[in-house]
Amino acid sequence: MIADKLSSLLRDTTEVQYDARGFHVQHTASADTLLQIADAFLSENFHLEMITCQDRRENDDAFRLIYQFNQYGTPQRHVIHADIAPDATAPSIAATFPAADWYEREIFDMYGVAFDGHPDLKRILMEEDYFGHPLLKDFVDPPSPYRSEGDAS
Amino acid sequence: MNRFEVEQDPKSRDTYYLNMGPQHPSTHGVMRIKLHLDGERIISAEPIIGYGHRAHEKMAENRDYIQFLPNPSRVDYLGGMIYNVGYCQAVERAMDIEVPERAEYIRIICNELNRISSHLLWLGTFLMDLGAFTPFLYAFDDREKILDILDRITGSRLTYCYARFGGMILDIDDVFLDNVSSFCTYFVERLKEYEKLVIGNVIFRERTIGVGIFAPDLVQKYAITGPCLRAMGHENDVRKDEPYGIYDRFDFDVPTQTEGDCFARTLVRMEEMRQSIRIIEQAVSDMPDGLFLAARVPRRIRPPEGDYYFCVESPRGNFGMYIASDGSDIPFRLKLRTPSFSHISTMPAVMAGTMLADAVAILGSIDIVVPEIDR
Repeated sequence: MIADKLSSLLRDTTEVQYDARGFHVQHTASADTLLQIADAFLSENFHLEMITCQDRRENDDAFRLIYQFNQYGTPQRHVIHADIAPDATAPSIAATFPAADWYEREIFDMYGVAFDGHPDLKRILMEEDYFGHPLLKDFVDPPSPYRSEGDAS
Repeated sequence: MNRFEVEQDPKSRDTYYLNMGPQHPSTHGVMRIKLHLDGERIISAEPIIGYGHRAHEKMAENRDYIQFLPNPSRVDYLGGMIYNVGYCQAVERAMDIEVPERAEYIRIICNELNRISSHLLWLGTFLMDLGAFTPFLYAFDDREKILDILDRITGSRLTYCYARFGGMILDIDDVFLDNVSSFCTYFVERLKEYEKLVIGNVIFRERTIGVGIFAPDLVQKYAITGPCLRAMGHENDVRKDEPYGIYDRFDFDVPTQTEGDCFARTLVRMEEMRQSIRIIEQAVSDMPDGLFLAARVPRRIRPPEGDYYFCVESPRGNFGMYIASDGSDIPFRLKLRTPSFSHISTMPAVMAGTMLADAVAILGSIDIVVPEIDR
């Protein structure tokens, strides 16, 4: 069972109310165990539904990576929260779940969080020569010659 | 027919790179696929996306839940109703807002009409990519009928903003129900015509059977969902697996095929349209009277602090919304998990080793919507 395999890897596990939240179990993990966690989910026939990130530098001085695993058929969603320091990197799980490749590139693009061991870490949505990471809470849109002062930013 | 820009690979005289897009018609939007070719054989393919990035997730962090209402239907403009309703349902569940029966039925009818119109557009454009022009005109004609029906009650043709937290903004009338019923009767017959026109066509079969097969291991690795998954023999549909709204009250089948090629994906979508008609017919005959918008909806939309995930079955697959609330009016983080993003990321694995002409068929058959990839 997935719970047995994960018990040694995770710091904190909470059952959540599926009817209200849409997922079943929420875990907290440290970023350096992510590879083993991904392997455990792969061997139990889970798929990686998404990875996303939160800029929690103001709240906890950290970026929170959020991994969501699910099963086909009857849903069984596990959400992993892994906080990393603002200047730290996280391990890439793209070798285990190729779907992570693009999600990690998106997080790199939008938050500037780098992933160790990623096959080709580069921007995905913004153009290659773009500077800044738009989803940071303190992001300021650089001035553009195509926009007048009255336009909403 | 020299549509492609060809650049010579400096390392080799035998292979070359070809940019398919960003303005190529078969990418259905602005997207580029960088193909590494040996003659007409694809060595590798790399989708390059982001040309249509509109920062929907950033917008969500700058406005409150109500102000974000028009956005979801712009994320996927072909399944706009399903996204609009899905966003409302996500917030309703987080806030525990009750939705009147009548509104639930209206949502089902609109969702399924929207699914048919999306599949019809896919059918037309997919076949046009393969060189067949006539089905495109047929499909757009029928799609126009659906758009007219929805236009009459919502006021918009594509980017609907019809659902509200707790119901719908406007009620439907008997004329709408009559229109829907007569469309259903008409369309069931019409589907048989499509099948005669398309499925039996020799050229179509040659172009699609055995082309673009998704290897079974891709399912788990890339989280494939929707018709692409069902074409591989998996009977998974969010409407059945975790019914949202009132989908659990309706009697419908989840069509599957086993081959996982372009032809199988076509058959699955054709049958899905028939199942959507079944759902609509049941919803029309059971339509209750009553309120279309809940009488008591909180004036301020503030989901309790915490994370929420809500997913719906969009015409392309599993569309999920991850909402992180800090208890205020404005989402702390709103992530849109879009099926096209997952499906297009499989393209390097699916396209490698196929022929250039097949790339067009594969891309058409997975039914991508580029704004949904770029968000």
